[in-house]
Amino acid sequence: MKRSWLIGGLVCLLSAGFLTLLLMYSLPLDFIERSPVQPFFFSHKQHAGANGIPCLYCHRYADKSSLAGIPALSDCRSCHLYISPESPRIKILHEHWNRQEPIAWIRVNSLPDHVYFPHMMHIRAGIDCSACHGDVATMERISRTVSLKMGWCLGCHRQHQASIDCWTCHI
Amino acid sequence: MKRRTFLQLGGITAASALLAGCQSKNEKLIPFLVPPDEGVTPGRANYYASTCGFCPAGCGILVRVSEGRAKKIEGNPEHPVNRGRLCAKGQAVLQELYHPDRVQQPLRRNGPRGSGEFLRISWGEGLKLLTTKLLELQRDQAGDSLAMLMPHMSGSLYALLTTFMSSFGSPHLICHELLSPDWLRQAGRESFGQPNLPFYDLAETHYLLSFGADFVENHLSPVQHGNSFGRMRQGRDTIRGHFTYIGGRMSLTGASADRWMPARPGSEGALALGMARLILDESRFNRAALATNGIRPQELLASLEAYHLPQVAELTGLTQESIAEVAREFAGTRPSLALAGETIAFQTNGQESVRAVHLLNLLTGSLNRPGGVYPAAAMTGPENSHAELMALVKRMRSGQVRLAMIKGDPCHTVPPASGFQQALDKVPFIVSFSTLFDDTALQADLILPDHAALESWGDVIPRAGSRHTLYGLMQPVVTPLHDTRQFGDVLLATAAELGGKVAAALPWKSSLEMLKATVSKRSGLGKGEDFEARWVELLRQGGHFDSNKALGKGYHWSPAATVPNPVQPKFAGDRQQFPLHLQVYASAAFHDGRGALLPWLQQLPDPMSTVVWGSWLEINPATAKGLGINHGDLVEVTSPQGKLRLLAVIYPGIRPDMVAIPLGQGHRAGGRYSTGRGVNPLALLALVEGSELQPAWNATMVRVNRISDKGELVTAGHPEGSYRSDLVGI
Repeated sequence: MKRSWLIGGLVCLLSAGFLTLLLMYSLPLDFIERSPVQPFFFSHKQHAGANGIPCLYCHRYADKSSLAGIPALSDCRSCHLYISPESPRIKILHEHWNRQEPIAWIRVNSLPDHVYFPHMMHIRAGIDCSACHGDVATMERISRTVSLKMGWCLGCHRQHQASIDCWTCHI
Repeated sequence: MKRRTFLQLGGITAASALLAGCQSKNEKLIPFLVPPDEGVTPGRANYYASTCGFCPAGCGILVRVSEGRAKKIEGNPEHPVNRGRLCAKGQAVLQELYHPDRVQQPLRRNGPRGSGEFLRISWGEGLKLLTTKLLELQRDQAGDSLAMLMPHMSGSLYALLTTFMSSFGSPHLICHELLSPDWLRQAGRESFGQPNLPFYDLAETHYLLSFGADFVENHLSPVQHGNSFGRMRQGRDTIRGHFTYIGGRMSLTGASADRWMPARPGSEGALALGMARLILDESRFNRAALATNGIRPQELLASLEAYHLPQVAELTGLTQESIAEVAREFAGTRPSLALAGETIAFQTNGQESVRAVHLLNLLTGSLNRPGGVYPAAAMTGPENSHAELMALVKRMRSGQVRLAMIKGDPCHTVPPASGFQQALDKVPFIVSFSTLFDDTALQADLILPDHAALESWGDVIPRAGSRHTLYGLMQPVVTPLHDTRQFGDVLLATAAELGGKVAAALPWKSSLEMLKATVSKRSGLGKGEDFEARWVELLRQGGHFDSNKALGKGYHWSPAATVPNPVQPKFAGDRQQFPLHLQVYASAAFHDGRGALLPWLQQLPDPMSTVVWGSWLEINPATAKGLGINHGDLVEVTSPQGKLRLLAVIYPGIRPDMVAIPLGQGHRAGGRYSTGRGVNPLALLALVEGSELQPAWNATMVRVNRISDKGELVTAGHPEGSYRSDLVGI
């Protein structure tokens, strides 16, 4: 009797442990990397969603350069001198400007150095920003929605019949 | 430990681990405060054409500039000198710009000389100090007690300097470099009546004979030569040019040769004349060439009586057979080309040895023909700046120089035997215009830092790299990083302050304005043509490369020229006491020492010994065995002039009666990468009695003693080296 209890308990314990491991493996628990807390609260939902500002209005180099570009602090300020300048968060923005200290954002979507990814070619090919960046207009805080692994890149390249030669990305 | 403390500590550790875990390890994205100017797109590079100012070869460069920062330098494919190639030194110029030990604002000495204690001052104060000193000289009618010591200069800056000095009333403008080819200009004047530097058509030649010219590393225009040498070897379908190297030490150039003839130092001129005599004797010379140059073969043969094969073999230490074979090959292969280099020129009989090589080229008809030698287009330059420097040293020593304005680093690159360093101490006020904090800046009373090359406007006339008139432009590719000012601008501002004759002679506001004036004169602007459009176009190209105009006049043996007569060379140091010849040579990385300040060049392994970050002595295995020296041992080298300790590299590519040390290390200053690293072999060089006015820097004898095996030789390759296999026995 006692022995069967012991065995049953052990089996339960082991399967619980196994399930936990399985869960940890399958759940997206890398949120620190995938959706880090930014040093400054900026809502894409507000700007891109509610106000409908086009992506390229702020990320202005995306169609000309390999980098999309992050708006300069003076760009934020030039609007917010007039738009809700008294809100507590915007005051923090103006303090940054007064200290002449840019906001050090934490990178969310990043590719390794051995990958050449030109934004402009994808924009010019008519790929929507959300194809890689997800529906940013609904995000309060930016999070990565795709794996950004090579297989994922290739899937899209195959679908659009873009080149899948090694040298296309690894130059 | 109490239980409570333990729990507290445990809690703190766990909390900190948790907190560290919460912090994202992702990269930071730091945006601009204010978006960059129009024309700068983050992530997209701009390329600017400019000219390399590291050495006087004047190669064209393209600088990649991203987000307003210079990132990479490569050769300009459109430039006729280097055709898109660039050497390691040119690539490393980037590090001059970003060097952490740049002089970042004007400095005034605030302690004893050489102590390195300086006070930061403003440009206003700095310029005022300089002007006050200059005004004092003018007031005392002592204009000629101003001396200006510069490195090689060309183009509008040189014009600015000469105008400044002549209007100020001082004749003491000296452009001196240790490795400058003054000897070639002087020899050219004596043999051909024109002081042009030669342009060697290496690419088209079939037989190349180098008398100690290390043309791949440093000689005249190394990138141009390297490229042409490649084409000579592999660029033609039917022929691979043959190359014989003559010189006691096998340099990188020597290692590229088919045959190496290690002639005794100082005997190379006799070897050239021995070959000339054999060619004349066996009637293998080019009759037409001799006739056009007005030389009678019989007379010439008679005057070369002293250079019979057995005597020459005796003098050079080579076999009669090998000399005769090379002479016959040289005369029998057309076109053939002989070059003379620094190794033979820096002997007491160097001048005549170089002219003996000229004679060889004349005999085989290699003057002014494809695959031979032409006069190069650019001809400005001193013909014996060493003698000028020695005269200046004399003046400085007797207190006749009250103000010295110095650019470059003569404190490091002038051999102390000349007395320059001590004489400089006697000058009451020294102004340095150094960009990096070099040995000369350390001695200065006032430092007015120049822009780095990548921040400057300028123009460069390339040295010897082409038959055509070339005019390279330098443009700033980044905004200046520090509070520095361009040397030309400082001079112009000083001239304006001085007023009177000097200001009248130099009416320009800035060196850019002066440069534009020079360019509009040079580029031959057509009527009604817009200068600004032309200027932008020239900047885009990197200069004005005219391939039709103004070729140098052809070489013609001067009627006044004598038959070269390289007498027995003289050496400093008694043979009993100092049995070994010392050769100091310019390494592939440091040129005359200016490269040692840049870390990329420090960690560039020497192509022959693979040593990095240090100085070494090359010594033949047989000699080393006799002295009990092993690879990497600490040895002491003693010459009549001084003593140095450095590490031994056993090198079979050197004559047993010779040792060699590369130039460039042993800086007293120059920033964190060069200060106190290695030794400066110039400290060993002695002046040869009776030849003090000649730069005979390869004529010093030394002895070598083993000190210990405690050396720390750092090599990138195998310590034994791959060259040890089955190399030539000497």
